[in-house]
Amino acid sequence: MDISKYKTLYLQETSGHLSGVEKGLLSIEKGYDAAAVDELFRHYHSIKGMSASMGYEPLKKLAHSQENLLDGIRSKRIDLTPEIVSTLLQCLDAMRALLERVENDLPLDADISGLLEMLISAGKGEPINPRTQRQSETAPVQAKTPEKSHELKLSNVMTVEGRVFDDLLSIVGDLLGSLSTFKSLTHASRSIAFKDGVHTLGRSVDALYSNILAARMLPIKDLTEGLPRIIRDMCIASGKEIELKIEGSEISLDRSVLQSLAGPMVHIIRNSVDHGIETPDDRINNAKGPTGQIRITAYSKKDRAVIEVTDDGRGIDIERLKIEALARGASRDKIISMTGKEALMLICMPGLSTATVVTETSGRGVGMDAVKDVIEGLGGTLEISSTPGAGTKITMELPRSTAIIKALAVNVGTEVFLIPISRVEHVLEVSARLAGSGSMEYEDGQIEIRSLAAALGMDETASPARQASTVIVVRSARDERDSRLIGFAVDDFGEEIDAYIRPLLPPMSRLRGVMGITIIGEARPAFLLDMAQLTSKPTERT
Amino acid sequence: MPKRVLIVDDGIFFRRALRDILTAGGYDVIGEAENGEQAVAEAIRLRPDIIILDVVMPVKNGLEAAREISGLAMPAKIVMCTSLGYEPIVDEAVSSGASGYILKPLNESKVLGALKNLYPAETC
Repeated sequence: MDISKYKTLYLQETSGHLSGVEKGLLSIEKGYDAAAVDELFRHYHSIKGMSASMGYEPLKKLAHSQENLLDGIRSKRIDLTPEIVSTLLQCLDAMRALLERVENDLPLDADISGLLEMLISAGKGEPINPRTQRQSETAPVQAKTPEKSHELKLSNVMTVEGRVFDDLLSIVGDLLGSLSTFKSLTHASRSIAFKDGVHTLGRSVDALYSNILAARMLPIKDLTEGLPRIIRDMCIASGKEIELKIEGSEISLDRSVLQSLAGPMVHIIRNSVDHGIETPDDRINNAKGPTGQIRITAYSKKDRAVIEVTDDGRGIDIERLKIEALARGASRDKIISMTGKEALMLICMPGLSTATVVTETSGRGVGMDAVKDVIEGLGGTLEISSTPGAGTKITMELPRSTAIIKALAVNVGTEVFLIPISRVEHVLEVSARLAGSGSMEYEDGQIEIRSLAAALGMDETASPARQASTVIVVRSARDERDSRLIGFAVDDFGEEIDAYIRPLLPPMSRLRGVMGITIIGEARPAFLLDMAQLTSKPTERT
Repeated sequence: MPKRVLIVDDGIFFRRALRDILTAGGYDVIGEAENGEQAVAEAIRLRPDIIILDVVMPVKNGLEAAREISGLAMPAKIVMCTSLGYEPIVDEAVSSGASGYILKPLNESKVLGALKNLYPAETC
C-alpha cells in the first residue's frame, strides 16, 4: 500500500486533533472535566493510530504515552495536577514541531526520550523530575527549525478558483484525444520504443486525470449548507414549521455535478415546502406533529451517489395526477395501464408543471420536468415514490463525476455518434435486410431494432446503400431488472474511446437523444447519445 | 457478488485507507459511519455483509455498537478494528458479537486477511 498518498489527510486530521488537544488541555487546566478528559484521550488515540500507520514513530510514541497518561487520569488512577497539564502542553508543542517536519518532508530525528520519561513518571503518579524537565526535548525539536517561529509561512492549503480545475480537465480531455491518435498509430508501428512510450504516456495521462478528478470533488455539504436559510425564509412566508435533517453530507461529487444539482435541489425543497408539508393545523388534524420533516440522505452506491429527499407531507394524489395528465392530452390507454410508479412520473410532464395545476392537485409539479432533464442530462436517474397522507420521496442517483466517459463510436452516414459503453450489451454484424426488418432474434427472444438515424430524426437516405449493417444492442436502463434490450442499426462502428464530454448549452440542450458533445480526431464534434431517451417509446415524451 | 462492507471509524484517514484497501481487494464499500450510533443506523439501513468497527469513537464506542448490532439478529459479520495496546479488548469484542479483528496500524494483508477469515469456505 502506498501510504504516502494519505499524507495530506494525515496532516489535516492530525492538526485538527492537535487543536482539539490544545483546547482540551486549556479546559482541564481550569479544573477536572470528565468529558474533556475523554475527548483528549480520543484525540491522542487517533493521532497514535494514524502516526503508527504512517510510520511516524516519534509521533506515535508521544501520542501513545500521553494516551496512557490520560487513560490513567480518566480511570482516576492518577490525579490531574497542573504539572501534568504543563507537561502535556510541552508534548503538544513537540508534536506540532514534529508535524511540521512531516509536512516539510524533514527527518523525524528529534530526541523525544526526555518527554517520554516525563510522561512515564507522571503515569506512575511520581513527581515529574524537574531535571528531566529542564532537558525537555521540546527544545531540540524546535532547535532544528529555529527560524520557523519568526517566519512568514504560506499555508499548504490553497484556495483555487473552481474554473482552474474545469480548464485542467478540459486540457486532459484534449490530451486523451491526442493519446487515442497515438494509440491507433501503435498498431501499425514496429517500434517497441514508440509502443512503450505511448503506454507510459497513457499511464501518466490516466494518473493526471484521476488526480484532477479527485481535486474536483466537493462534499454535498457545500450544496446543502444554504438550505436551512432557504427553508427558514419559506417557512416564515407560509406559516409552516419544518425541520431539515441532512445525512451523508460528506459524500462528495464532482463540482460540475454538484453545481448542476443546485437548481433541482431548490426546486425539490420548494415543492416540499409549498405543496408537500401541511400547515401546523392541518398536520395536527391528520394526527401528525405540527413540525414537518424534510430529510436529505446521501450515500454512495459503487461509483454513483444517491441523494434522497424525503418529506412527511401530504404526498401526491395519483388519481388526480392522472386526470390532469388526461386533460393535458396524454393517451387514455397508456394512463390506464400505468403502474403507480410510472404514474408518479407524470409529474415531470411539462404540461403539468404550472403552479395552478399543481396547487389544485396538491402535488409537486413546479419545474419537475426541468429537474428530470437536469438529472438525466448528468447521466443520472430520478425516481419518485409517494404515499398519500404520509409523504413523498425523491431519489436521485447520479454519477459522482461525469466529465470523461468510455464510449463506443458509431457511424451513421457521415456522422459519428458516441454511445456510453456502460449501455452497450453487444455489437453485431447483420445483413442490411435484417437490420431493416424491425426486429431480430437475440439470445432467447425477439428484440426490437430501430434505425439510429430515424431515432435521431436524420434523413435516412443519406446513408450509403450497404450489404451489411451493424446492430448495437443496448439496455434501456442501467438497472438490469426493469430494462429491456433494443437494437440500434447503424452503418458501422469504430473504437472505444475516452471522451471528455462538454455539456450542451441551450438551445442545443433541448435536442432529443443527445446529452453532451466532444471533439474526436481531426477536430470533429461528436454527440454523446442519451440512451435513456432514445430507448424510451417515441411517444413517451411530448 | 462482492461482499458489501460498512466502514466505521471516527477518522477520515482510516476510512479512506480502509476504503482503498477493500475496494482494491474486490469488496464493495457501501457506506461509512463515524461513530457507533451512526454505525447502528447505517447497519440497519444498508444491511451490509461485513461491518468494520473501530473501538474508540465518540458518541457511542465500537463495543457498544457491536453489542447493539449483534442484538439485531442481522447477518452482518463484525470485524473490530483497534490499535496496539488494546489486545485485551479483542476478547470483549468477541463476546460482544465480533467475528474477527484487525490491529492498527493497517496494511493490506492484515485487513484482507481478517476479512477472508470470515468466510473460510469461500474463495473470494
